[in-house]
Amino acid sequence: MAKRTVLAASIGIILAYCAVALLAPVIAPYDPHAITGAPLCPPDPEHLLGTNDLAQDIFSRLIWGTRATLLLGFIGAAVTVVIGTAVGIVSGYYGGMVDEAVMRLIDVAMTIPIFPLLLILTTFFRPGIYITAVLMGLLGSFQGVRVIRSQVLSLAVADFVTGTKALGAGDGYIMARHILPNVLPLAGVKFVISAQHFMLIGIGLGFLGIGDPSVVDWGQMINRASQNGAMILGLWWWLIPPGLAVTLISLALAWLGYACEDEINPRLRLMRV
Amino acid sequence: MHGVCFMIEVNNIRTSFSTGFIRRRVVRAVDGVSFQVEEDETLGLVGESGCGKTTLGRSILRLIEPDEGRVVVNGTDITALSRSDLRRFRPRMQMIFQDAYASLNPRMRVRESVAEPLKIHRMGDRAAIDRRVRELVEEVGLNEEHLNRRPYELSGGQNQRVVLARVLALRPEFIVADEPTSALDVSVQAQILNLIRDLGQEYHMSCLYISHDLGVIRAISNRVAVMLEGRIVEIGKTADVLDRPSHPYTRRLVAVPVRETPEPLESPVFPAAPAMVEERPGHWVEETTA
Repeated sequence: MAKRTVLAASIGIILAYCAVALLAPVIAPYDPHAITGAPLCPPDPEHLLGTNDLAQDIFSRLIWGTRATLLLGFIGAAVTVVIGTAVGIVSGYYGGMVDEAVMRLIDVAMTIPIFPLLLILTTFFRPGIYITAVLMGLLGSFQGVRVIRSQVLSLAVADFVTGTKALGAGDGYIMARHILPNVLPLAGVKFVISAQHFMLIGIGLGFLGIGDPSVVDWGQMINRASQNGAMILGLWWWLIPPGLAVTLISLALAWLGYACEDEINPRLRLMRV
Repeated sequence: MHGVCFMIEVNNIRTSFSTGFIRRRVVRAVDGVSFQVEEDETLGLVGESGCGKTTLGRSILRLIEPDEGRVVVNGTDITALSRSDLRRFRPRMQMIFQDAYASLNPRMRVRESVAEPLKIHRMGDRAAIDRRVRELVEEVGLNEEHLNRRPYELSGGQNQRVVLARVLALRPEFIVADEPTSALDVSVQAQILNLIRDLGQEYHMSCLYISHDLGVIRAISNRVAVMLEGRIVEIGKTADVLDRPSHPYTRRLVAVPVRETPEPLESPVFPAAPAMVEERPGHWVEETTA
């Protein structure tokens, strides 16, 4: 019962964020870049969360910022899962030298910490938000490959796969029709967890001031707020809302990930693979 | 030989596994096995766990590539086939596994599992396949309402019936049954055993029936081969071998129930295989020094 509530709540929160991101132009009262009055206004009916030092409406920026965060998280996670699943299936299914080569390569690649590497890459190349997302996805996919591969290893020697081989099915057919459907639940969980991870990394990059400056994002909002003394001046409406927004989506994704993991684990055991 | 047409001729087949990257260890699971199976005949293969029965069964179908040796199925040397030719040949030889539940994709309904071989080999359009699936399901003693079930919604015996329907869809000439009844309880065992025997006759299948259960072997096989440490040590008519065993191992096997103890992996020592001696007509035994 409690588990179901958590699951429903997390899905609700994620859907709400998606809706806000899609409907940002409709919901936001102002253009996030426009000067809308006096700078550093406290909240009032006109500016729900006040204005920042450039007199931009904080509430509108908060709403537009949802887009950047979700974009980074979901595009990055999609790249990770697609690469992780494809490489993991091929590597685990064929085994032997192919597998050995891929795994040793990944062992080396995984020793490189993602965040510092991303920091360096984004500082030097100043890529747009899409490239950053794909980059994150690529760097994160190494771990995805390992997770999927380990599952495929046991599936590849399962009797139903051997039996289908004996029927005369080709390798491509077996991977697409028998292996892939059986790793999809795991890939789903990986997607949710990666999305959460990448959203936080995105916020981190923004906070360090190396995000795409043409994009409104929460990390940069927090950065700007703290650099302009929001903390000391007690301007909570500038600092707290983006932080809360991040925390909430991150929590929702984590809950969803855990709930899904719980959901698929007994079934995996039941599958005896 | 004797002018009999052999369905399957297995010639000196060897399969070994190697483990370890630095310290390579080679385990020879099947060590020079030869035998023949005639048309419509069931050859039983007995031996304790770890003696290489399963590896032999899979090597014959090239589900594991044997290191050397020849397997001729109804005149075709399958060890010489290319991968794509082998795939086209596969429908003629099939395999049934011990764990029926694990031999079906947990995400596929019975209907899809049984239709799969027909679809892979493009045997007819959708309506024809659907008709054949219903026919097959009925033949193995299931009915329409089972078609939409998934493996975990069926019992072990029912799952084994589904596997049988899936395999029969291709009308194979030769089938390797790897302990298909040993995971089932006794009453269901008998049903499945009878089903395999009846359908085997109906479809004119030759069968290599692997088991460690002498009762099952006695019930289903015309001839029996006894396997020990990767080699066949005795082969002949079922009653002949089981009632008048010549090899010391067979004598032990017949006297006491086989214990399920896996063979320890030993360092590879490959003595020359002893020659086989014909004790009685058709009853061959490996020469023993004892």
